[in-house]
Amino acid sequence: MRVSGLRSFVARRLLLGVAQTVAVVLLVFALTEALPGDAAVALAGDQPDPARIAAIREAMHLDRPAYERLADWAAGLARGDFGTSLASGRPVTQYIADGFGPTLLLAALTLALLIPAGFGLGVLAARHEGRLVDRLVSSATLAVYAVPEFALGVLLVTVFALKLAWLPPTAVGYGTDLLGHPAALVLPVLVLLSRPVCSLSRLVRAGMVDALASPYAAHTRRYGVPGARIRYAHALPNALAPAAQQLARTVDWLLCGVIVVEALFVIPGLGTVLLNAVAERDVPVVQGLAVVFGVLTVVLNLGADLVAHRLTPRAGVAA
Amino acid sequence: MSDRTETVAEIRDLRVEIDGRAIVDGVHLRVRPGMVTALVGASGSGKTTTGLALLGEYPAGARVTGEVRLAEGGLVGYVPQHPAAVLNPARRVSALLDDIARPQVRALPPAERRAAARELVLRALSDAQLPDAKALLRRYPHQLSGGQQQRVVLAQALLLGARVVVADEPTTGQDALTKDRIVDQLAAVTARGIAVVLLSHDLDVVRALADEVLVMRAGRVVESGPVARLWRYPRHEWTRRLLDAQRAAPPDETRTGAGQPVLEVRHLTAVHGRTTVLRAPHLTLHPGECLAVMGRSGSGKTTLARCLAGLHRDHDGELLLDGTTLPRSLRHRSRAQLAAVQYVFQDTRAAFDEHRPVLDQVARTAVRLRGADERAAREEALTTLDSLGLAEEPAHRLPGELSGGELQRAALARALLAHPRVLICDEITSGLDTVTRRGILDLLAGLLRDRDDLSLVLITHDRETARIAHRVAVVDVGELAGEGRARQVLTP
Repeated sequence: MRVSGLRSFVARRLLLGVAQTVAVVLLVFALTEALPGDAAVALAGDQPDPARIAAIREAMHLDRPAYERLADWAAGLARGDFGTSLASGRPVTQYIADGFGPTLLLAALTLALLIPAGFGLGVLAARHEGRLVDRLVSSATLAVYAVPEFALGVLLVTVFALKLAWLPPTAVGYGTDLLGHPAALVLPVLVLLSRPVCSLSRLVRAGMVDALASPYAAHTRRYGVPGARIRYAHALPNALAPAAQQLARTVDWLLCGVIVVEALFVIPGLGTVLLNAVAERDVPVVQGLAVVFGVLTVVLNLGADLVAHRLTPRAGVAA
Repeated sequence: MSDRTETVAEIRDLRVEIDGRAIVDGVHLRVRPGMVTALVGASGSGKTTTGLALLGEYPAGARVTGEVRLAEGGLVGYVPQHPAAVLNPARRVSALLDDIARPQVRALPPAERRAAARELVLRALSDAQLPDAKALLRRYPHQLSGGQQQRVVLAQALLLGARVVVADEPTTGQDALTKDRIVDQLAAVTARGIAVVLLSHDLDVVRALADEVLVMRAGRVVESGPVARLWRYPRHEWTRRLLDAQRAAPPDETRTGAGQPVLEVRHLTAVHGRTTVLRAPHLTLHPGECLAVMGRSGSGKTTLARCLAGLHRDHDGELLLDGTTLPRSLRHRSRAQLAAVQYVFQDTRAAFDEHRPVLDQVARTAVRLRGADERAAREEALTTLDSLGLAEEPAHRLPGELSGGELQRAALARALLAHPRVLICDEITSGLDTVTRRGILDLLAGLLRDRDDLSLVLITHDRETARIAHRVAVVDVGELAGEGRARQVLTP
């Protein structure tokens, strides 16, 4: 593909991404509207006095029609203003900034372990295809993949935190300063790693098995290229394209708030922020998060497509 | 002359057996530096197995006896039939070349290694007659032409320092000019003192290149000797047949049709994107006629065929079948129209579903396009296959278990089951050895004789194949350059 073709592909994809993000925001807005109750009811708390609720509603401009509120918010967004929280009055950007730290830290740590582990296991299994090592790796990854995150999390907490007391069970009390307490990160990262490692290594294994059996791999062997170099420099690039797409989905999943893990280990990340905002019907926060998640998803998938294009130059771009 | 007597590789009494069946049996072969040793024979005769034995490679599960000996430091290079298959699609051309060069510069200080390796790579590419090597190294294999891919693979062998190069069917499916180039190139390789083992059923190339010829049949060498002697005085019956099979009989001239054409092309201009790839102002095909469309690869002859079949719809011409307009795209053609124009592809393996028996796939045409019921379709499929020389037993097998020639017969049967008016054959003989090719051509001539309403369009670059046609249309650089009676066009 020529450079101009690539550029127009990126432009088209970004445009499409903007449209998708707008659609996500509209959908989220419509769904939060459809939920019973609103921020006023949530704020009124244990004494749901109708007069009080109406007063709060008026003070927060919740009595205005939905489309006006949406238009106001969208106009603010165009100026880079995400609005303020209904529940606390703090700016939404601050919520996002606070929650992003722990989420980013978890995602980065998980990714740093996921890439070598996933690719390493996949290549290892493919190298010993059909033999003992392959069968061990394949059955172990399948078994781990079958366990849901919350079940594995509860199991790990029970064994390593409660029974053996090697690690703290949750991150309660550490606030957003998780780096200062690395021990609290071990279990969450393990749980986050568990399933992505399995799906990634299985994809890499499948691609590598094909690539190693190909005539071009046989040709490199014929001409005396060392085995490790054949595996990593010649065969692996052909197995990478599907893995890159899978990796993008994983990163997306990690960054968009891993609600189950954050809730289980009480980590104040984006997932926790989202959960609280929904409980409080804090629409501006929910919408702000929807925008952030939408943009992240679009950008990550575009990146993965570009990597896949580089790795399968023959296929061109499937837009 | 003394070095001509030394041997760089030798095979003694090689026997390769799979499941108790010998695919190579008692083969002796001596390879001398700077000489071309050709193995000729039909496909399945054991040529490739013998050639790969020099590389120390055998089919999976094979039992091997005998001896393969290489001279001291005797590295062997390999140029396969489809060079694209051994080039890594995800890596640039330079990737493997650099890896081959790297161990050769290990003695140098680290700072100089990279430059020295690049120097070796560039020299190998220029030895393989690839100009502009620097730019070429940065390309991906799919960005090279077929000829360039072949030369890159040859450059890998030269860079390795191979003393023997095994070339497997290097000219199969190439047009005459490209063939000449390949012959020159292999001749240049031997001039450097490298031995070439040529596996080919292209007898013209063997005659032009080989010093010594081994004729193989069913895994055995039936005759061997210097090329000139073998051509003039073939001793074995099979050698004689192989040499005879090159010439095909001209068609029966009395039956060229007149009256209304079955297919007519008017003002056809086909485009790929914005590039015009073919202009054909007027072309007709009469009932019972065979029209050969000749031209070099890339001339646009396949595009013409694809336009007729509705596979290429980016054109603004008019196609008439029996005087009525034929929609441009396959999707807008009725079943009867689909059945009327059938297409047989060059790559038969790709045209069959590898997971279903051949018979099912052949019979399916009659069910889909003519509404025949399953049983009748299967019976007709079996009769048609039988008349095309494919027995019932192989018809029940999967496509992967049939030879190229057998599969081509099945592909013809599949098209015939639609009861077509026009049968388009796109280079259907180009991957076949001479004996098989002759069989298929006889078959096509027989079809023309026996089926009054069938017309053939033969897309080919091969003059011998075009000989069975009544008329020949020549396509050159996207233009219909001329047409005439086969006798006049083909007489040199």
